[in-house]
Amino acid sequence: MNKLNSNLMYNALRTIGLMLIGALVLVSCESELDLEPRDGRLTADAVFNDPTAYRANLAKIYGGLSLSGQQGPAGNPDLAGLDEGFSNYHRLYFKMQELTTDHAVIAWNDGTIQDLHAQVWTSGNEFIRTMYDRIFYQVALCNEFLRQTEADKLAERGVDATLAAEIDTYRAEARFMRALSYWHAMDLFGNVPFVTDADPIGAFLPEQIERGDLFTYVESELLDIMDDMSAPRAGEYGRADRAAAWMVLAKLYLNAEVYTGTDRSADVLTYTNNIIGAGYSIPDVPYTFGFLADNNSNGAQEEFIFTLNYDGLNSQNFGGMTFMLHAPVGGDMDPAAFGINGGWFGLRTTSALVERFPNEENSDDGRALFFTQNQTKEINDIATFNDGFAITKFRNVDVNGNQGSDTTGDFPDTDFPMFRLADAYLMHAEAELRSTGLTGASVDRINELRERAYGDDSGDIQMGDVDLQFILDERSRELYWENHRRTDLIRFGQFTTNGVWPFKGGVPAGTTTPAFRNLMPLPATDLGVNPNLSQNTGY
Amino acid sequence: MNSLKRVFLLALFLPLAALAQTVSGVVTEAETGQPLPGVNVIISGTSTGTTTDFDGNYSINATNGSTLVFSYLGYATQEIPYTGQSTLNITLIEDNTSLEAVVLIGYGSTQQEDITGAVEQVDSEEFNKGTIVSPGDLIAGKSAGVEVVKGSGDPAAGPRIRIRAGSTLSAIQDPLYVVDGIPLDQVNANLNTVNPNDIETFTILKDASATAIYGSRASNGVILITTKKGRRNQPLTVEYGMNFSVSRLFDRVDVLDANQFRALAVEQGVDQSLLGDSNTNWQDEIYQAGTGVIHNLTVAKGWENNSLRVNANLTNQNGVLKTSGYRRHGLNLTYTHRLFDNALRATITSQNANENVFQANQGAIGAATVFDPTQSVNGTPGQFGGFFEFVDQNGNLIPTAPKNPLGLLEQFDSRTDNDQTRNNLNLVFDLPWVDGLSLNSNTGFDYNEYEGYTTIPAQAASNFFSGGFDSRVSGFRRNVLIDVFGNYKKALENAKLDLDFTAGHSFQKFTRLDRNTFTNNQGDFVTPAINPVINENALESYYGRAIVDYNDLLVLNLSARYDGSSRFAEDNRWGFFPAASVAVKLDQVVGAGEGTLSSLKFRAGVGQTGQQEIGPSYGFLGLYTPGGPQAQVQFGQDFVTTIRPEGFDSELKWEETTQYNVGVDYGMFNNRLKGSIDAYYRETEDLLAFIPVAAGSNLENFLTTNAGSTESRGIEFGLNYALFQNDDDGFNWDLGANVTFSEIEITNLTLGDDPNFEIAQGGIAGGVGNTIQTWAVGFDPTTYNTFVQAYDTEGAPIEGVYVDVNGDNVINDEDRVKRRKATPDAFVGLTSNMNYKNWDMSFTFRGAFGHYNYNNIESNTGYTGALFNTPGPYYANGSTSVLENGFNNAQLFSDIYVQKADYVKLDNISLGYLFPGDRIDLRASVSAQNVFVITGYDGLDPEIPGGIDNNLYPIPRIFTFGLNFNFK
Repeated sequence: MNKLNSNLMYNALRTIGLMLIGALVLVSCESELDLEPRDGRLTADAVFNDPTAYRANLAKIYGGLSLSGQQGPAGNPDLAGLDEGFSNYHRLYFKMQELTTDHAVIAWNDGTIQDLHAQVWTSGNEFIRTMYDRIFYQVALCNEFLRQTEADKLAERGVDATLAAEIDTYRAEARFMRALSYWHAMDLFGNVPFVTDADPIGAFLPEQIERGDLFTYVESELLDIMDDMSAPRAGEYGRADRAAAWMVLAKLYLNAEVYTGTDRSADVLTYTNNIIGAGYSIPDVPYTFGFLADNNSNGAQEEFIFTLNYDGLNSQNFGGMTFMLHAPVGGDMDPAAFGINGGWFGLRTTSALVERFPNEENSDDGRALFFTQNQTKEINDIATFNDGFAITKFRNVDVNGNQGSDTTGDFPDTDFPMFRLADAYLMHAEAELRSTGLTGASVDRINELRERAYGDDSGDIQMGDVDLQFILDERSRELYWENHRRTDLIRFGQFTTNGVWPFKGGVPAGTTTPAFRNLMPLPATDLGVNPNLSQNTGY
Repeated sequence: MNSLKRVFLLALFLPLAALAQTVSGVVTEAETGQPLPGVNVIISGTSTGTTTDFDGNYSINATNGSTLVFSYLGYATQEIPYTGQSTLNITLIEDNTSLEAVVLIGYGSTQQEDITGAVEQVDSEEFNKGTIVSPGDLIAGKSAGVEVVKGSGDPAAGPRIRIRAGSTLSAIQDPLYVVDGIPLDQVNANLNTVNPNDIETFTILKDASATAIYGSRASNGVILITTKKGRRNQPLTVEYGMNFSVSRLFDRVDVLDANQFRALAVEQGVDQSLLGDSNTNWQDEIYQAGTGVIHNLTVAKGWENNSLRVNANLTNQNGVLKTSGYRRHGLNLTYTHRLFDNALRATITSQNANENVFQANQGAIGAATVFDPTQSVNGTPGQFGGFFEFVDQNGNLIPTAPKNPLGLLEQFDSRTDNDQTRNNLNLVFDLPWVDGLSLNSNTGFDYNEYEGYTTIPAQAASNFFSGGFDSRVSGFRRNVLIDVFGNYKKALENAKLDLDFTAGHSFQKFTRLDRNTFTNNQGDFVTPAINPVINENALESYYGRAIVDYNDLLVLNLSARYDGSSRFAEDNRWGFFPAASVAVKLDQVVGAGEGTLSSLKFRAGVGQTGQQEIGPSYGFLGLYTPGGPQAQVQFGQDFVTTIRPEGFDSELKWEETTQYNVGVDYGMFNNRLKGSIDAYYRETEDLLAFIPVAAGSNLENFLTTNAGSTESRGIEFGLNYALFQNDDDGFNWDLGANVTFSEIEITNLTLGDDPNFEIAQGGIAGGVGNTIQTWAVGFDPTTYNTFVQAYDTEGAPIEGVYVDVNGDNVINDEDRVKRRKATPDAFVGLTSNMNYKNWDMSFTFRGAFGHYNYNNIESNTGYTGALFNTPGPYYANGSTSVLENGFNNAQLFSDIYVQKADYVKLDNISLGYLFPGDRIDLRASVSAQNVFVITGYDGLDPEIPGGIDNNLYPIPRIFTFGLNFNFK
């Protein structure tokens, strides 16, 4: 027996054995479980090491209104549960504000989309649900931005004074954007969950706020940020300034009777006066210029108070203006005339809008932008594009007829004027009618709009022509498809129990609907998830 | 080295040498005459024993009248009464039945008879035959409770495998695959890289008491795959097998032919000038007969201390959809080396595959059902690549019109190459200083790299406006495993106890990197804002098991795993998953008699398992994602790249499933009939579900979070019957049958208590955002949510008229009714294996009952509006159902489209003949797959994973001719 060999062997065995036992019990890899992404995704503290991140985050908040996700045109969407293009704020808001009214019908089969014009929607309606989700996504984005830009956080990250001052403006804008969305929530849904930057993320259930209390909150927020917003027309095009905040305040007050039961027309006058005196003008260019690919530079922009900016190359999505450009095109319409590669054969209007113009489709009013060839004025079948006149208001061509920057004709350059001076003029006149009485100055301003529409003074009106119904109709003629209609009709009491237009109530001749539909239902999903909420009456 | 071993052996035997009456001899293998090393030789009823050395020699002291027992794994045990011989040479006969009796149970193995949970092993002899590209197809229909459903006829697509389906809602539902000890990445198992020809056994762990040792990955069941290896002292074997196959589709989706289409156009009074004058069957244009070959060359050889098996394989399949195909080259090697007299066994397993996937544009499948059959394939030469396409009055392409199906295929070049290498070093070390103690370690490295492209030329109509399309993808997946466990076996004879303890520790890390770049509308390459995307997950685990066998009567099995996952925050990171099961073996009680019952065992078990395989890797962390160049926001003249804060749930934690299982295993007629019955009940809590979050409370509207619970239950019957067993004329016939009944129900979905809360599921074609299924408490997760169609007195459906279920005189989504589901109530498998002399024949039937499909092709295309009320100057084809119901507008949510889908399929049938030879054995075989289906369902194939039938890649019938050469 060779002792040396035997020892060697024993040692070898012992070493292997000990190594295996060691691996078995001793070595823990627990620290290996702390994994963070090693790609472009960053934690909050890491991302804000870059001072440009604040502006980038603010841009996301603005993009929350006009875009749909992080990739563009589709991919990595902000919201789930509905197709990305459909989940765009602008597109959903159009469906709430215009498709539910006499301004629009749509041909498609997408889920419960037909319930919107028919006013038979339920709390399960996915478009209503996603509008609600989009609004609260926007609120959550703003809240998070405000949390990440608190003074102590900025100090901790060593943000210098120049940037800190800039961030003050950003914060005011984020609060504006939150107030804007809360106004939409209050207007559409009434009593909604209420979350602010004082709340955490996740792991809590928001409390419901009464519509009147939300009114007070939105009002106080807007008043509070006013001084930190940049002066009217002083900031970058596409960013909200003080005039935008005045505009939302004025909208709040104009509809205060609906929201709180108290008329606030006097306050409307204050803020619309501010706007009228802020340097905006009704430019001496045709009405149609306001809705072209170059509406940020063809003169029409002189009137714009707040826009959603679209760009065919850099700001792509399948909602927003892409929808507003493609969905109304179909039938015999030539897509090239609209600067796009093809229509989606969806949106048309009802005879109610057509008949609001003198001489209807042959009106001298340049705002009567109807396409009638092979289209019927009255609708027989909503699913058939040729039923109902088409609308040619929005185009992706410039004043010379050249297509926008996206040569494929998919994505438009046309910006969307969310707030413009004409709206403020009409709000001012309405508030006068509701309080101190109409002034000659207001009649002149209305004629300013009509002269742009008619090209001359042939459409001018007299003080005696103007009553509240005229204002409602003039708002329809001037502002159709700009997402004001539902709110206007409710303020005038003509959305549900009064007012009839084709296919309202789901019948071809139209019928009235119950008053509870002046408010949208809270989505069934949120009621299920958040026991703090109770449903609006009637749903 | 040899002398070293001798010394060592001698040292071991020294104490025995002191006793009287030594008997010695050589143990050899009966078939080859080769000596068998490592054979256990014991004196029956004592603890005296030895093993044979590497030359098969043994030497032992025995007394007259005692019995010598010679046993070796895989061979029939021999018992020889000792009558004073000094030399006793023994030949052992290979015994396959005893080999099969050893069953893997995860981190070890046990005897079939000692199994306490619902565990089923499927061996290579039982596998489905024919053209098998993906390993899962080998076991379709073979095991109760295991659903193997082919969702696509794409040769690159593997089947969907579900074991006791449905415990989770949003987390992954695939079982955990463990290949030779390496748990695969559940997100990216890619089983196709395991060569089906190399698989020895599938062991399916079904219930929680069996799977809990895999802890957090075990809720969907576990499949242990063992590949073939060389055997010790195995003579050189060389095998070559090839098969040649032809795949064909024998059926088409029922759409209008050109004449029917023209007639309908006339009847509807639409603009006839838009019709063409051809008669094109677009489905015939896009499908072809697919051919394929599979080659396998295997060389195996075993020596005294090592054994080797090498397999080289090639698979090349063309799909029935033109331009689709799959090619795989593989080289697999296993090498076992035995050291220190077999005390340390090292096995290296290396599986390497190179895959080429040729992706077809599957959009052509839908296009072929809706493209106007009166139009011709070819259009204006030079325009759109020469394919006919729809243009408007100005000659411009209509973007909303369907695109030429053949053009979609031929103007689409897409391929992904994948290189996979899966390597494992397994060490098993019997510790010399403690009898019965062994250590087992696995060091695994599973890695693949892929690279792919898609190119569409500028002329192609599908991407005409952007002047074509080009994209590149690449990336890798890495899975690293370090796993060590110890096993201690001890027999306490006085207490009549056999003990078996296992304890281990493992760490596994998964890394996935994906790169992506593609052209935008201007033809410039752009990359997403995050590129590459890197996701990493790690799991650390401690696990253990104790098996106590009392007197071969009662077996108790306790196991537990403690898992830590990187997917959860530190406070929720660790989960504990225990299990207990017991078996009562009544074999001796019943088997002793002459009755029909020959073996009997009752089993009962309970276990908890977890689930952490959710989409997000960092779901508990608040992260910011940069935006891409096409999603910038314009401030003035400046385009700003955005950053987006992502939603998260810092409280994210394990999904936990508790499962109870009772079972009985029985044998009759001398075990010619063997059966099992298992019943289970399962509760899953803290479901990881992708559900809506309270509005405003997070930075998403849907989030993967812990919410809700499900309950499921089932009963499974398995039966194997050797109808004929080597009767005089050499006829064998084995019949296997299994029947599974199961149901699942959502018992809670939210924190709230709203009974009407639902989450829409099951997106369909025909309108964006439309869903046909729903999650609701009290229902199966695949339950349909539809309007109830109203019918006239003739029994014909009335278009647009539905039952006003809630009686409020308004038909809206509140009138949709939840009933019928896509999950079968029952599914069955029937397998037959016959051989007669040199003939063999086998077949497999599968069936499923009690489920419904939503016929989305009919609902989306079977109305005149879809045909003639089109967004542009063109018409579209559609389902022939339009001729029956005459619908003018879409009735997508009508229950008329929820159609019964019960079926029985002859999945597989094969006939072979063995030509025995002196030097070469040759087996020739023919087989057919997907032979026929018996069903009342109208669609192409009733077997639709998830139930929504819309333009799936149809599954062809495959005819295979095979030759297997065995060189001796």
